[in-house]
Amino acid sequence: MSLIRAGWRAFVITIRMRVISTWSYLSWLVFPMLFTIVGLYVLSSGGASSSRLVYGVLGGGLIGYWSVAYLDAGNSIQDERWSGTLEQIFATPTPIWVILFGKVCAGLVFGLVSFLPNAALAYFGFHAVLPALDPWKFVISLGVLTLSFFCIALTLAPLFALWRWAFSMLNGFELGVYILCGFMFPIAALASWAQGVAGVLAPTWAVRALYASTVMQGPHDFTLWWLAAIGLSVVYLAGAYFLYGLVEREARVSGELALA
Amino acid sequence: MPAIEARRLRKTYKTTRGVFRREKVERVALRGVDLAIEPGELFGVLGPNGAGKTTMTKIFTTLLLPTSGAATVLGLDAVHDQWALRRRIGFVFGGDRGLYWRLSGLDNLRYFADLYRIPPEVTRKRIPALLERLGLAGRERDRVELYSRGMKQRLHLARGLLNDPEVLFLDEPTIGLDPVGARELRVIVRELADAGKTVFLTTHYMFEADAICDRIAVIKGGEIVAEGTPSSIKKVVQDQGVVEFEVVGMPAERVAGLRGLQGVKSVAVVDHELAQVVTIHCSSPADVMTQLGLVLDGMSLEKVSSREPTLEDAYVQLIGESS
Repeated sequence: MSLIRAGWRAFVITIRMRVISTWSYLSWLVFPMLFTIVGLYVLSSGGASSSRLVYGVLGGGLIGYWSVAYLDAGNSIQDERWSGTLEQIFATPTPIWVILFGKVCAGLVFGLVSFLPNAALAYFGFHAVLPALDPWKFVISLGVLTLSFFCIALTLAPLFALWRWAFSMLNGFELGVYILCGFMFPIAALASWAQGVAGVLAPTWAVRALYASTVMQGPHDFTLWWLAAIGLSVVYLAGAYFLYGLVEREARVSGELALA
Repeated sequence: MPAIEARRLRKTYKTTRGVFRREKVERVALRGVDLAIEPGELFGVLGPNGAGKTTMTKIFTTLLLPTSGAATVLGLDAVHDQWALRRRIGFVFGGDRGLYWRLSGLDNLRYFADLYRIPPEVTRKRIPALLERLGLAGRERDRVELYSRGMKQRLHLARGLLNDPEVLFLDEPTIGLDPVGARELRVIVRELADAGKTVFLTTHYMFEADAICDRIAVIKGGEIVAEGTPSSIKKVVQDQGVVEFEVVGMPAERVAGLRGLQGVKSVAVVDHELAQVVTIHCSSPADVMTQLGLVLDGMSLEKVSSREPTLEDAYVQLIGESS
């Protein structure tokens, strides 16, 4: 019970820190809207088909969701290191995964919220709609996507605690995922080797299902896509189990929780 | 059973340097420290920057693993029993970092109370009591960024006391505080020890250790070079005197010359604005003063004086400071 309370408090504190931080509005509100505007402008100006236009409607929101969900927990670890609180939270009787669980959930909330202004912008600004939306399949796909984001973020966030330099490396992963997983365009446009890499990323399958739930033309195999995304997410979590053990030990060997 | 114990405690940091040719570097922070602190003791660890004080504190507080040796607190192994140990100890690091500045003091305390897994009914009573005791009541809903340095440090202490720890680790808690704030904090720390808590205090302020500690260890280069009560540490220099003077521009060869004078135990040179303050520990100040001219011929000496040694002199001699 006390662990649930600790995770909940980490969630609440992260939300409050983000609400009062001016900079965080850039990542969950401003940048995704810029992506949406550019995407919709490009995709709607050439008389693109409705199946392509949905990438403009949802792509900006997806990028925003991913950026916030994935990077918020890691960034806050980096912030904690700079402010000297990382050692303080690490030395409490609450395992670091519980704290990161709360932080990642807070990121997911902000990420989901970032969808709303983007959808409104697409609808009111560009009169873009989702032509053949299947609400149930859309919601389930969004849920599976959320699970995949959650698992990746929870798995990789402790690396920010372990290494001071992790931020720059993992930042690159953020960009790679939204290209490889087809957030703004179908992954069929990628080279075959890149499609192979995309196949081991859980969001690829969830995003495919998400977009499929908004258009008529198939073939669609939602069950396979959902199961692929869930299965890969579970694999990530299994990796996380070992990673957290490693972080708990290695951080105490290297002393990198402190700034210096 | 000692409240805190270290046996042959050793810590080596491994890192790399260089950009293209990466070179592995090892830095030894602790070189086989032995220490035993009894329950209820206020124990001070004195040493210059880089001596190993913080490393030792972090090992006891489960933040670092020793390279070898053993560290136990309340009979629990600081390496393997970290989860049980963290519930029973508190720690405070000096400086104004380590707090969420954009949150209120109350939010900071509530957050850490939950991370320390303290039941809500206990937290509801303990936080107001701590705020009252540490003089923060009435300001708890202000953002921490609006607090003075002293208030931040008292908030640190409140955080460290949230779980009512049996052992409290304080790593240079008065660093950067004004004299009044530092004195207030020392009074609180002494009260905590009088109330039965074991306190492990690191500092490089000799007078602070002298004022409040029951026992002191002096650490240098990762080794304990002296241990005992403040008065027993002072005995290191009881048969000595001190000669001090100011000079502008003190060449290294002249310092070496001073060290070679008869009866000189140690020489410390500390920059003071444009001048240097030279402190000579010796068996006979009168003899040394008559010999100064031999070594410092042609130099203009100011404020030449001799005095009885203090605890700080004992510390300086033990550390062998010479800059």
